[in-house]
Amino acid sequence: MIPMHEVPGNALPGPAAIETTGLTKRYGKVTALSGCTVSVPEGRICALIGPNGAGKTTLLRLLAGLSRPTAGQVTVNGTTPRQDPAFLADIGFLAQEIPLYRRLSAEDHIRVGAHLNPRWDAESVRERLTGLKIPLDRAVGKLSGGQRAQVALALILAKQPRLLLLDEPVAALDPLARRNFLGLVADLERVCDHLIMLASSRVQLCGDLEELLAEHRILIGPRKDTTAIERSHRVVQINRTPRQTTLLVRLNGPVADPAFEASDVSLEELVLGYMGQDAPSEPAQLTTVGEEQ
Amino acid sequence: MTWLVWRQHRIQFLVGAALLAAFAVLIVITGVQVANQYHAAQMACAASHACRNQGGLFLGSHAVGFLIISTLGAPALVGLFVGAPMVAAEAEAGTTQFAWMQSVTRKRWLTVKIGWMLLAAAIWGGAISALVTWWEGPNNALQLDAFDPGRFDIMGVVPVAYSLFAVALGIAAGALLRRVLPAIAVTLAGFIAVRALIILLLRPHYMNAVTVFYKVTSGFTPPGSYWSLASGVVGPNGQQLAQPNNINYIDGVPASYLPAACTQVSRGAFTPPPSCTQALSHFRAFLTYQPADRYWTFQGIETGIFLALAAILIAVTAVALLRRDA
Repeated sequence: MIPMHEVPGNALPGPAAIETTGLTKRYGKVTALSGCTVSVPEGRICALIGPNGAGKTTLLRLLAGLSRPTAGQVTVNGTTPRQDPAFLADIGFLAQEIPLYRRLSAEDHIRVGAHLNPRWDAESVRERLTGLKIPLDRAVGKLSGGQRAQVALALILAKQPRLLLLDEPVAALDPLARRNFLGLVADLERVCDHLIMLASSRVQLCGDLEELLAEHRILIGPRKDTTAIERSHRVVQINRTPRQTTLLVRLNGPVADPAFEASDVSLEELVLGYMGQDAPSEPAQLTTVGEEQ
Repeated sequence: MTWLVWRQHRIQFLVGAALLAAFAVLIVITGVQVANQYHAAQMACAASHACRNQGGLFLGSHAVGFLIISTLGAPALVGLFVGAPMVAAEAEAGTTQFAWMQSVTRKRWLTVKIGWMLLAAAIWGGAISALVTWWEGPNNALQLDAFDPGRFDIMGVVPVAYSLFAVALGIAAGALLRRVLPAIAVTLAGFIAVRALIILLLRPHYMNAVTVFYKVTSGFTPPGSYWSLASGVVGPNGQQLAQPNNINYIDGVPASYLPAACTQVSRGAFTPPPSCTQALSHFRAFLTYQPADRYWTFQGIETGIFLALAAILIAVTAVALLRRDA
């Protein structure tokens, strides 16, 4: 893993950009998010991942103030999400559906944004889209899906938000566009430095990515009883073949059993381990926090 | 926000303005002709002292007359094509998510949009009504029927209230259903239903109707454009007589209630025999009506009702969009 940013290891954590406590959202009898407690400091790029229906979009919409929690607290940029121009000015939320007015051109959208936002960097949008050879004067409904996503993203960035929430940001992009996305290589491992993992509407993991990776190990050993390991560490996943046993564990001290060989875990292994037998889900959502967009 | 509203809805606004302009040109040109016709007819009848018998005279062409009557539906148009899509089209396309993530509260977004839609609806209803009222002035003077349903509804101030109600109904339906076509269908059905219910059930009773009894042998016509609600004949015991179509009547009284002398008389002589006059004097005709001088009171009451309904619908929209999750 190559960190893109210098992550202060033991430095005092900055003010939290996102802080939730027991955040719960129910739609009728369906619980979309349950007891979600996460914290993301400012200046981080945080990936929010989980299988379909895990509650990712629900969490993002709660953070953006588009929906209200059934229970629990949520604090974004130091305040509760609310209908207030100052709060909204600091949030950039790009929904999965890439909402744009189909009959309006990118230039029209730039003008709309200029009318509706206190901070608005119209020039950055024009530069960005011109650089991508996306016509500014064509109705966005006539652009390709990937181009539309780029227009929407450029418009979100023009707001200069303190918190950027992207729901499935690369879903509509072709592989080349993914590489250029955000001007960074859209390789999750290299971009994000924080991770929130949801599954079945609950938080499975939340924390600094390096710390999370350091806390986990893959143990490979003979096929034998693993109760001793299970007693001292938290076993996330066990794979047994006739010859050997592979465990993903969250460490609770050093591994004592010499029969098991410990190796570092990659992000992919970590993610798949927590998702269990689920089909490998694309690192779905990317939450970027802070100025270094 | 205003710029966004204009940019989003300018086609609707321009189409509406063009329709209004075309209508205005047609109405003004033909209306001047109607006024001239009326003036000429008045001069002619004054010369021949026959001004009372002009009720049958229809001024203007039938095509324009049909267009005038069809303005009954004009308020519904603004509800269907401006009101219903206002929220529903955005919800369908997901563009509310774009607007609501700018630095604009949903409340302001809704207030500005609804404000412009209501203004547009008021101008639409008001301009059409003003043109129709002016065009129909001479006919109203001749026919004395401005109070009749169908004519009451296209003149004066009520078309403004109907338009505001229609657009509010469309907006509320769109906000609740979040789909354009269902919202249009509900708006159309709701508009027709509410208008029909109020015409049939409420409007006749805004004020207590006046009932006048008079001798069947004499006539009675209230002054001006009164609104006739009921008429008939009551017998000696005060019971109202059924008036089927296929029987003989003498002065509105079924012949079967009268002595045979009356029937014979009506066939020939002018003066009925005393027995017949005596029998007829036991019957009385009645007319239940709203007097002509209540016209503007009724316009005011009806306007108030529809403005109140529009206000309720706007409140429903606000609750649906601001209290609920986006």
